[in-house]
Amino acid sequence: MTTATAFTQHEVAIIYLARMVEEDKSYWTPGGGRPGFALSLAQKLHAPNVMRMTEEGCISAQPYFPIEPFMYMGGARSNYRGVLWTSMNQICYYNTLGLVDYAILMVLEVDPYGNFNSSMIGGDYYHPQRRFGGAGGANEMASLAWRTLLVTDQDRRKFVKKCNFITSPGYLDGSPNARERAGMPAGTGPYRVVNSEAIFGYDEKTHYMKLLAISSWTTVAEVLSKMDFEPLIAEKVETLKPPTEEELTILRTEMDPEGRVVGAGEWILLE
Amino acid sequence: MEVIESGEGELFKAPDPDGFRAYVREHKARGLIDKVMTEKEAVAKFVADGDYLAYDLCWAIRGPNSLLREIIRQRKKNLGICGKFTYLGIAVLAGGECFNRVDFGYVGITVPYVEAIREGNIRISEWSNNALTMRLQAGAMGIPFLPVRYLGGADAFHYSGAKLVKDPFTAKSVVLLPALNPDVGLIHVHQADIYGNARVFGSLLSAHEVASASRKVIISSEEIIDHEEIRREPGRTTIPHFLVDAVVEAPFGSYPGEMPGLYTSDSAHLGEIAAASLKGMEPIKEYIQKYILDTESELDFLESKVGLGRLLELKGNANIKEGYR
Repeated sequence: MTTATAFTQHEVAIIYLARMVEEDKSYWTPGGGRPGFALSLAQKLHAPNVMRMTEEGCISAQPYFPIEPFMYMGGARSNYRGVLWTSMNQICYYNTLGLVDYAILMVLEVDPYGNFNSSMIGGDYYHPQRRFGGAGGANEMASLAWRTLLVTDQDRRKFVKKCNFITSPGYLDGSPNARERAGMPAGTGPYRVVNSEAIFGYDEKTHYMKLLAISSWTTVAEVLSKMDFEPLIAEKVETLKPPTEEELTILRTEMDPEGRVVGAGEWILLE
Repeated sequence: MEVIESGEGELFKAPDPDGFRAYVREHKARGLIDKVMTEKEAVAKFVADGDYLAYDLCWAIRGPNSLLREIIRQRKKNLGICGKFTYLGIAVLAGGECFNRVDFGYVGITVPYVEAIREGNIRISEWSNNALTMRLQAGAMGIPFLPVRYLGGADAFHYSGAKLVKDPFTAKSVVLLPALNPDVGLIHVHQADIYGNARVFGSLLSAHEVASASRKVIISSEEIIDHEEIRREPGRTTIPHFLVDAVVEAPFGSYPGEMPGLYTSDSAHLGEIAAASLKGMEPIKEYIQKYILDTESELDFLESKVGLGRLLELKGNANIKEGYR
């Protein structure tokens, strides 16, 4: 394993997520973007047979890269070598049964309790300044998976005190059993927030976001300066290992040679 | 049953299982009837201004795009949209000014209609992809609602028409989703016979739910197959004939999207739509004028705007066949 010295923010986030993927667990993610790429990278590195679902109805695909834009869910390449092609509803039934350990989701904004927005910014619901796609399958994934991993950039506009709109639930107001009172199964909720700079978890009692680890090229103070609220901070903040050449080579040559996904975000150059 | 909280979102189609049963009794043909017609005939006959429309696709994959183009050609107005998983399809419909209300699951947001939402010209309700397919499931089962264990607690719940209730069996909170029975269901399939027995290969999305829950169902099919093939392998039928009102033979009907196993997407053409829709109403209207309104039929569109060479190239690019035959 050779430590790399030049990579993009998206590459780092994908690699951090991929390292967390366990082959004997199950995952529900969008097919593409950082979440889908993380699973596919893990499949190529250490978890070839990981159980993964996408909401259009595919279970345990081993996607055939590269994949054209817009074709990450339901396309022949993205659904290649699955074990089951079924319906959207059946995927959600399996999740309601408790078969999914982790959901991995992109967010537009996330608050200290892991509630997140993918709907709108500014104005009010009926008069949005900016409107986005909406929940998609994120609401059901964040409600039903045992643990939810969220992915977003380290940015004051992303880590916010209060979301413009809560599209999908985290721990709601953080009070005990808040999710159950709102109709969700017990024992579920946000688990990690991951990006190129840091990894956060949640305090077990208060359900408040907690800084667990940072990248080797940044500092706790710098990470905190890119947040609209102050998270709890672990007693010992871990330092994450930078991407390796092996990991990057798979992303850049096998998965995304045109760099549409992995080329996004700023470049990070190490001394 | 105690109602704990009610969403305030507008129900564009309120549950009416008895009304739907009465419709089904009267209008769904039990016999084997040849239902083959063109896009033009099917849309003229079965899509009315003001109808609530559900179409089955995933982003740009296996979408009933030849039917959507014909809806724009015929300048249908004031449609309602079941917006699950719809991305560039709805951008094109927005440019055609075809709809005035949307149930949000995932909807490709484009400049033309964020403006229209803000000005109140497009009404919206908030759900999620699966909330919409479960509403279709309830509609497909002939029941008024189904319980689910998501949507609660979020602002999305508040702007939906769902209810949070105390479950009379477990005494726990549970969300109830109202049944959805669209006026029109559009589904693109790999194969169908002339009666509407249809086969979808690959991930199913909600093909059967849309077909069962919708009053009027138009199937577009890449290929019309012999009825005897259906009889030989009944286990492969996704949608049975009695749910279907029209069958349209539509080779390349999912273009510019992919039809898994048959042809890949035309990413340059999809990119053209995406770019136009991000720029605003005028560019997307220009797209529609050039590719849809200036063509008089689907055949004309494929011949004059895409061309045989490009279509054969997309067919040749489909290098994965496993599972699609």
